Amino acid sequence: MSDERSSAVQSRRSFLTTTGIAAAGLTLADMLSATQAPAQIKGTNLRMLIWSHYVPAYDVWFDKFCKEWGTKNGVNVRVDHIPHLELPARYAAEFAAGAGHDLIYYAGQILTGQYYRNLVDVSDLADGLGKKHGGWLDAAKSAAQVGGAWYAVPDYFISIPVLWRKDLFASVGLGEPRTWDDLRKAAGQLKSKGHPTGMQFSHCNDANHNWRALMYCFGAKETDPSGQNVALDSKEMREALKFGKALYDEGMTPEVFSWDDASDNRFLASGVASWIHDAISAFHSTRVTNPKVFEQTFVVPEVAGPGGTWNVGEPNVWAIWKFSKNVAAAKEFIQGIADSQKEAMAASLGYNMPFLKGQYAKPMPYLGSDAKLAKLQDQEKITAFLGFPGPMTPAAQEVVTTFIIPDMFTRVARGGDVEETMKWGIGEIRRIYAKHKAA
Amino acid sequence: MTEVSTGGSRSPDTSLAIEVGRRARGVSWWRTPTARRYTFGYTLLAPAVLYVLLLVGAPFLFSLYLALSDASTGAPVAHFVGLDNFRSAVETSVFYTALRNTLLFTVGAGLLKGLLGTTLAFLLLQPFHGRKVIRALIVVPFTLPIAVSVLGWKWMFDSQFSVINWALSRLDLIGPYGSASWPVWLGEPGLALLSVMFVNVWRGFPFSAIVLLAGLTSVPPEILDAAKVDGATFLQRFRKVIVPMIAPILFIGSAFDTVFTLSDLSIVYLLTNGGPDGATEILPTLAYNTGIRGGALGRGAAISLFLLPILLPLIFFLLRALRRRQY
Repeated sequence: MSDERSSAVQSRRSFLTTTGIAAAGLTLADMLSATQAPAQIKGTNLRMLIWSHYVPAYDVWFDKFCKEWGTKNGVNVRVDHIPHLELPARYAAEFAAGAGHDLIYYAGQILTGQYYRNLVDVSDLADGLGKKHGGWLDAAKSAAQVGGAWYAVPDYFISIPVLWRKDLFASVGLGEPRTWDDLRKAAGQLKSKGHPTGMQFSHCNDANHNWRALMYCFGAKETDPSGQNVALDSKEMREALKFGKALYDEGMTPEVFSWDDASDNRFLASGVASWIHDAISAFHSTRVTNPKVFEQTFVVPEVAGPGGTWNVGEPNVWAIWKFSKNVAAAKEFIQGIADSQKEAMAASLGYNMPFLKGQYAKPMPYLGSDAKLAKLQDQEKITAFLGFPGPMTPAAQEVVTTFIIPDMFTRVARGGDVEETMKWGIGEIRRIYAKHKAA
Repeated sequence: MTEVSTGGSRSPDTSLAIEVGRRARGVSWWRTPTARRYTFGYTLLAPAVLYVLLLVGAPFLFSLYLALSDASTGAPVAHFVGLDNFRSAVETSVFYTALRNTLLFTVGAGLLKGLLGTTLAFLLLQPFHGRKVIRALIVVPFTLPIAVSVLGWKWMFDSQFSVINWALSRLDLIGPYGSASWPVWLGEPGLALLSVMFVNVWRGFPFSAIVLLAGLTSVPPEILDAAKVDGATFLQRFRKVIVPMIAPILFIGSAFDTVFTLSDLSIVYLLTNGGPDGATEILPTLAYNTGIRGGALGRGAAISLFLLPILLPLIFFLLRALRRRQY
């Protein structure tokens, strides 16, 4: 087997791991020596629960960071990684037992509003980090504040941009997509050439993000800014539903009804997709699995709709239980990892987008050095989260976990009446909000 | 018989009789042989009762408490809300879809498992080379970790890289990928429900076969031979001789299978998570997504308790039929 061949069959995991370790090793020691932890945490234990990152190399970097941070500060750190979908059940169990990890992590599904009465108020820490790093993005508050107080500290968010095939677009005389109409046009023309597009209509995480991005770009709002009142009953939402159906009819195949979160990654890597709307993990994995397709795959942060440009990111935040046995060390650790966001971003291959404005100074780690990804350096200007423009309240979370929005798009795409669908969806969402208000 | 003297002199025999009677009256009931037998019996039974009370009774009562409260995953104190959570569940159309799918899933999968399990049990009863190995191998689906086997099926049902579709396409039974005849197993409502049901059947029918096999091997061959001599056909022997004789095993196996299928969360959760548009939503996934992921414990518990009125009469009638056969 030739060297080239060896290189081509290198697994995505090994590629990401190697790249991440290389990026991580450079500055970890300098970074850790920059801060000095208080003496009272020396000799203590810190147990944390975190998700298994989509980029394995990031977990390698993170575990190494924890180990070295623990050594430097005299804290015995134990990190437990579990799949992100299992986190909510684990937190419910820990809360019921009143015991568990000292430091916890909400990944994607934000439970700050659900548990804030039982979380340590970390406003001092968050305010300090904000001052130090040029302030927090507005979207950060949606995931970490309740009633103006910080009960969680934002770590990073994952952006979900548009990954498009330059060669295929060019084959039908199109350039870089700027609007949802451009994407629809491209999908419509390329589907007949064997290159449809796809966004999940199924019950998966990406379905919740992608259709919301379309909705928000069309000007539809889930709630008012307080997050207390449902604002979905609008002309804009109806237009978004109609556009979703047109996009499906003209540019997709029925397989999108069965997709999971990784299906669009495979769709892109297979060379079939004309464009997908997904995190850059698809971009990185295609680099390994299909270099030819990768060469022609480009990224735009988001495309515009009649209501503006909004990308629905996936936030990740730190929180500390009130029953934590080591609040001081947990806070110190959050401070340490927030100060190391640049290294974290490099280790995640540009996947982890910072919440702190000061960390958007160009060139950003990894993104700044990759011509295709460089456009993501302005991502902070267009980021919104689930429940937009309201915060990620428990009611908003229940709407997410019951997949009402993707189901609305599914019904219309399959020929359902828009008004009937609106009546059903809004009824379900209002019922959920009413229940949470009454509780 | 004990005699009681009313006074005067007593004969030695009479004294003895009175003494025995007194002693008998002096011993408390719980020290009698009958009581000891009961005590021994209940002591042996106690671990099982304790187990059921602790691991079934207590969680059941707790879920009842949750269902009648506004409990959420993040609220330390819950308030009594009566039947609000049950009302809230039946007000949604998703609930009825989930209920319908749950019944279809349970009945459909149960029937298929019964049919396939019976066929397989009869096949495994026949003498052939390697029978022991085959008998051991057929339980593999049942013993595999459910997450692993379901992920395997997820890959086989993949919309683009399905090995099933690939094989069908190579046999010219369907068109190529992208054609209208290319099945999207987990995407079309009817196919998606059939697919999750199929995985449940694949995983469960070896268990049915093993249970039936255990029953079949307990039927004395002389009785079957006698039925043959009397001219009974295979179906007559099965219906009139085998089924009545193995009925207790059939009832217990059916009860177990129904409970396991009705409360099976993993297969649907891992394959479709109830999608698309609720096509495969069943009560366990709806309860989990509402109660645990959505944080509304009370409503989640109420949804899950709707399984009870389905299960209870079924199990009651099965066990009653079983008891009647025993006596």
